[in-house]
Amino acid sequence: MATTPSTPVATTLTSPASRELLKDVARAMFPHPSFPDAPYERAVGTILEAAEADVRLRAQLEQGLRDVDVVGGSPFAELDDAARLAVLRRIEGTAFFEHVRTRLVTGLYDQKPVWDLLGYEGSCPDGNGYLGRGFDDLDWLPEPQIVDPHRDEIVR
Amino acid sequence: MSTVQIRGRFDTPTFAEDDEDVVVIVGSGPGGGTLAHELCERGIRCVVLEAGPHLTAEDYVQDEWEAFNQMAWLDPRTTSGSFRLAKDFPNLPAWTVKAVGGTATHWAGATPRFKAHEFQTATRYGAIDGATLLDWPIGLEDLEPYYDRAEEKMGVTHVGGRPPLPANNNFKVMGNGAKELGYRHIATGPYATNSAPFDGRPATVQDGFNFQGDKQEAKWSPLVSELPKAVRTGNLDLRAGCHVVQITHDARGRADGVLYLDEEGGLHKQRGRAVCVAGNAIETARLLLLSDSPLFPDGLANSSGQVGRNYMRHLTASVYGRFDREVKMWRGETMAGVVADESRHDTDRGFAGGYYMQLISLGVPFLAAFVEPGGWGPDFTATMDAYSSTAGMWLVGEDMPQADNRVTLNQGMTDAHGLPVPHVHFDDHPNDVAMREHGWTQGTKLYEAVGATNVHRTPPYPSTHNLGTCRMSARPEDGVVNEWGRAHDVPNLFVSDGSQFTTGAAANPTLTIVALGIRQAEHIAAEIGRGAL
Repeated sequence: MATTPSTPVATTLTSPASRELLKDVARAMFPHPSFPDAPYERAVGTILEAAEADVRLRAQLEQGLRDVDVVGGSPFAELDDAARLAVLRRIEGTAFFEHVRTRLVTGLYDQKPVWDLLGYEGSCPDGNGYLGRGFDDLDWLPEPQIVDPHRDEIVR
Repeated sequence: MSTVQIRGRFDTPTFAEDDEDVVVIVGSGPGGGTLAHELCERGIRCVVLEAGPHLTAEDYVQDEWEAFNQMAWLDPRTTSGSFRLAKDFPNLPAWTVKAVGGTATHWAGATPRFKAHEFQTATRYGAIDGATLLDWPIGLEDLEPYYDRAEEKMGVTHVGGRPPLPANNNFKVMGNGAKELGYRHIATGPYATNSAPFDGRPATVQDGFNFQGDKQEAKWSPLVSELPKAVRTGNLDLRAGCHVVQITHDARGRADGVLYLDEEGGLHKQRGRAVCVAGNAIETARLLLLSDSPLFPDGLANSSGQVGRNYMRHLTASVYGRFDREVKMWRGETMAGVVADESRHDTDRGFAGGYYMQLISLGVPFLAAFVEPGGWGPDFTATMDAYSSTAGMWLVGEDMPQADNRVTLNQGMTDAHGLPVPHVHFDDHPNDVAMREHGWTQGTKLYEAVGATNVHRTPPYPSTHNLGTCRMSARPEDGVVNEWGRAHDVPNLFVSDGSQFTTGAAANPTLTIVALGIRQAEHIAAEIGRGAL
């Protein structure tokens, strides 16, 4: 019977190159021209962190990131935006793609700096709400009429 | 009605587990919480078993994912069928709450009443292929006095001298668009969040967080109203973290209590004179099916085979309109806006039943998750980039009951307690598809009428309205419970939540659940009074 090698197979996932490639994939998948790299780097960080405890995810990333570099005929990093998008369209629906996409949807958009970039204020800082502080400050339409719902009710 | 406020966590007395006089209520949401309060006020002691923790306003967090993970019922479930949720969220068919106060701690507050015809759909809509329509054994006239009391209890706007909520940014867009489209029934309610201080609770500060629990306690829920009021009677024993695993019965087939697990996993038996189940339509049906026995081999109260069937989840869909200028839809009451013109029954539109257009706002994290499940790429990010210039509406309408849309036990998967998980099968009915298409089209026109540059059609979210799995019927063979919510098969077993809805109507269900709860409490008290329970 063969013995198990004493050292587990080295993983390439923690390498700077893998991190950079996954960041490029993330930006191609959710392209926000106005975003700096930091939100993508943080989202990638959460994926790689999750991979530490999820062998299926880690295996998918190991193989998937290699494939991403060959599907487009050139390394992903050397492709322009349109070609990167074309690579992702070709692999859409694969387990690798879905692992990355589902984690990015939460990992990218559940960041306060991203909310700031998109103008979302979330909770009022002191928790006291937007009453008197802009809950009704839209001024490009007239005040709408509010009709008593219990009068002239549609009963048909 | 007293206005003394009991904030925060409350303690209750502990009644003996072998006390046969108590009424056992499973679930503390709008059904169970209302029933408990009404019974306690009548001097009837109740033991309420709530599977979730006792969260309070202090515990709530105004952060979408953190709050979701704190409050949502996340026990595993499985799905099948043609509805898109089976693909988008296969293990999350429903978005309900597992905590004291139930899903009413996460609801937004919309409280339309049912219309008269919605109690008589078999008669009024006629035969529709594949639909198991049935007239309710009660009509609007039976429920009207209880609607009045429910609205007073909940502090509903527009009635009882309570003013409407003010128009927020999101409503300004919807209200103006609706007017341009020729709609006339445009309002910010009725809505069960205080527009002015009421019942010891403050007016809303328009903080925009509803689905995450209300830190201000301006919104009615059992947590801030029914349960603390019941506590003051001395007749409520509320046990959080207690998951009921089986309803037990005696040799005559009468319910005599429940078996439940405490927070540490210890198995208990609570006896009682009656058992009332209000676990939301998926868990209520699951518990009856889990309560099978040699006397009830197909599950308790299931001689009709109807337990778990006719599961309804409302039409649901959303429309998000993108504009050149800022909307900031997240500011203000999430759902304080309704257009009721399409809520009529008018088959000229190509479908039976009706739907409401109501405001909805999601924050960035949830809009990303729900606006286009599976979405990515430049179209998706364009939607997100336009976030602050986006207005949202939710479409809620009547869906058709179908025999095979049902909750069953998945014997191949168990939860953390080792119990079979519920499996939800749902196929969209052609009537549902036609209504959704109509709603998407009208919502698109509405936003385009006030200058939308882009409109996105969003498919259903995991269901917050779960209905019909133990439906009321005049004849025992057609349903599970009678007009009082009492099981046809078991004289002291009641269903006290939206599971008992014969059909779903277009309206958000909470007001009707509360009205039915008040009515059921009167019935149970009278039955106890005459020695029948």
